Amino acid sequence: MSLIELKGIKKWVGQEQILKGIDFTVQKGEFVAVVGASGSGKSSLLYIMGLLDKPSEGDVFFEGEKVDFSNERGLSELRNKKIGFVFQFHYLLPEFNLLENVMLPAIKLGMKREEAMERAYELLKSLGLEGKEKRRIYQISGGEMQRVAIARALINNPSIILADEPTGNLDSKNTQIVMEIFKEINKGGATFVMVTHELHLAEQAQRVVEIKDGMVLSDKVIQGV
Amino acid sequence: MNHVLFVALRMLFQRKRQTLVSVLGVSMGVSAFVVMSSLMLGFQNYFIQQVIDLEPHIKIKPKIEKSTQEPYTILLGEQPEEKDRILGWQDIMENLEKHQEVLGVAPRLVSKGITKYGVRDKPVTLLGIDPKREPKASIIDRFLVNKNLQRLETNRTGVIVGALVARSLGIDQLGKKLLLVAPNGQSLLVTVEDFFESGITNIDDARVYINIKTLQSLLERQGEVNEIVLKIRDVNRAERLSREFQAFVSYEVESWQRAYRNFLSIFKIQNTITYMIVFAILTVSAFGIFNIIMMTVLEKKRDIAILMAMGYSRKDVLLIFMMEGFVIGFMGALIGSLVGFGLQEYLESIRLDVEGLIRTRGFVLDRDPMLYVYALFFSMFFALMASLYPSYRASRLNPVDIFRSQ
Repeated sequence: MSLIELKGIKKWVGQEQILKGIDFTVQKGEFVAVVGASGSGKSSLLYIMGLLDKPSEGDVFFEGEKVDFSNERGLSELRNKKIGFVFQFHYLLPEFNLLENVMLPAIKLGMKREEAMERAYELLKSLGLEGKEKRRIYQISGGEMQRVAIARALINNPSIILADEPTGNLDSKNTQIVMEIFKEINKGGATFVMVTHELHLAEQAQRVVEIKDGMVLSDKVIQGV
Repeated sequence: MNHVLFVALRMLFQRKRQTLVSVLGVSMGVSAFVVMSSLMLGFQNYFIQQVIDLEPHIKIKPKIEKSTQEPYTILLGEQPEEKDRILGWQDIMENLEKHQEVLGVAPRLVSKGITKYGVRDKPVTLLGIDPKREPKASIIDRFLVNKNLQRLETNRTGVIVGALVARSLGIDQLGKKLLLVAPNGQSLLVTVEDFFESGITNIDDARVYINIKTLQSLLERQGEVNEIVLKIRDVNRAERLSREFQAFVSYEVESWQRAYRNFLSIFKIQNTITYMIVFAILTVSAFGIFNIIMMTVLEKKRDIAILMAMGYSRKDVLLIFMMEGFVIGFMGALIGSLVGFGLQEYLESIRLDVEGLIRTRGFVLDRDPMLYVYALFFSMFFALMASLYPSYRASRLNPVDIFRSQ
């Protein structure tokens, strides 16, 4: 069964049409890279897949069920339980330490604070941030911040992780570290959709979907990955 | 709710300085409310209580107001002026005593006069009272320095002099002789048997109590009275009862509320001014809260967007910022109440002579705990109102617009 299915997705922002009828399916366990030039509509597509934005036309199916974009509460719950986001910027909250930043989605989910804390510890440890849990974001490097953001995306065991240019702000060494983490998590069964404009990163995914001028230009499975 | 509290408290306490300023603003309003209300209500309640205890709850007296605008006065001319006396006062008193709400009734003869002591003189109000009946109609005993009311019965030329009258004349001991001069030119040498001290300046500075029979004789008005005073069970029903009595008494029936309506009106104005000041302080503090939460919302747009991406709903975001307003209001109320309590304690400990409309040693405060409840309610109300719009703005942010703008 497909995890996310987009049917005839169109999106206008003002007078400009950003997405021009996209049909696109993501299967469970896939690692999909969405590539395209700047302004091609790939981020808009990701926001619609992440239920943060609603399409002007077309339907989104999540785990086989049609998404009701008028039900804001239902959308929030789906995002909280089923979707994890990683952005180009870490978007960590400066008021919280690393551990608390990771805990935020779990606390929203209703997890007990001790349980959320334990899970956040484990995740940070698995991402090589053991001993830095109580630090503030200004006390760690950019690569570490992005790893904290990944831990935050993973804490509720989401069905899918959506990453929007997750390495756009990182140096090559940290970029590779993050990509290795993604691949590792994907091997564990998590579904990934990563938006990037860097082809060499996209080639590390199982499938590459190219977007151009709001339309799917190509959809290729990478052999040997 | 746990997640809302978790985020709200952390956001609030990470901006210690701004939060502290907001909290102090609210606490200033709360402490001002507590202290000003306490002082004002204390003074007013004291005044009213003294008036209720000292003055008759209901007074019956000859009508002295003439209306020249009535049609019949224009056609037939003015009615002959009513004489300053109550005819058939014994029957009126007898009837009133039977009423179940009436505790006591007493006759009085009231006149202007002048007291002379040595080279000093002072105009006063002479109150001719029946020493046996008067305590049933007013709590006069409580205000007598030496509790010598019955001396007016044994010594017919004895008088009880208001404390400020005595001070003006330079009398500080009992047994002093002073001269009373009545409006008809008659005079009488009387002996000071007691001093009368109610704490209300305009009463203590004007009254001289004397046996009614002595005054009747001095004024050459034997057997006449011009006031009947009543004490009733429930002082708050005085106005209603006065209207009831008016139906069968042809003289003017006046409740204590009507007699002191000027003061009560002043109190209302005073209350309005005080509450307007407190309202202004709380409004300023509300703007402080508004400013800080609005600033936070504008600064934290990105954080709000990421919270929404994590699954925090618009309602959660609204509640997070409302919670900040709530916490500021609550902490402000708490600190303000403590400061207010401290100030009340301090003001109560000050022993200075306050002399104005009332005379007291130190400030008279109303320590009603309900003042703190009202303060809490008002501060919470203002804080929540102030945080409502910024919170709403935060909840309506579109996360996609914010991510795109980064």
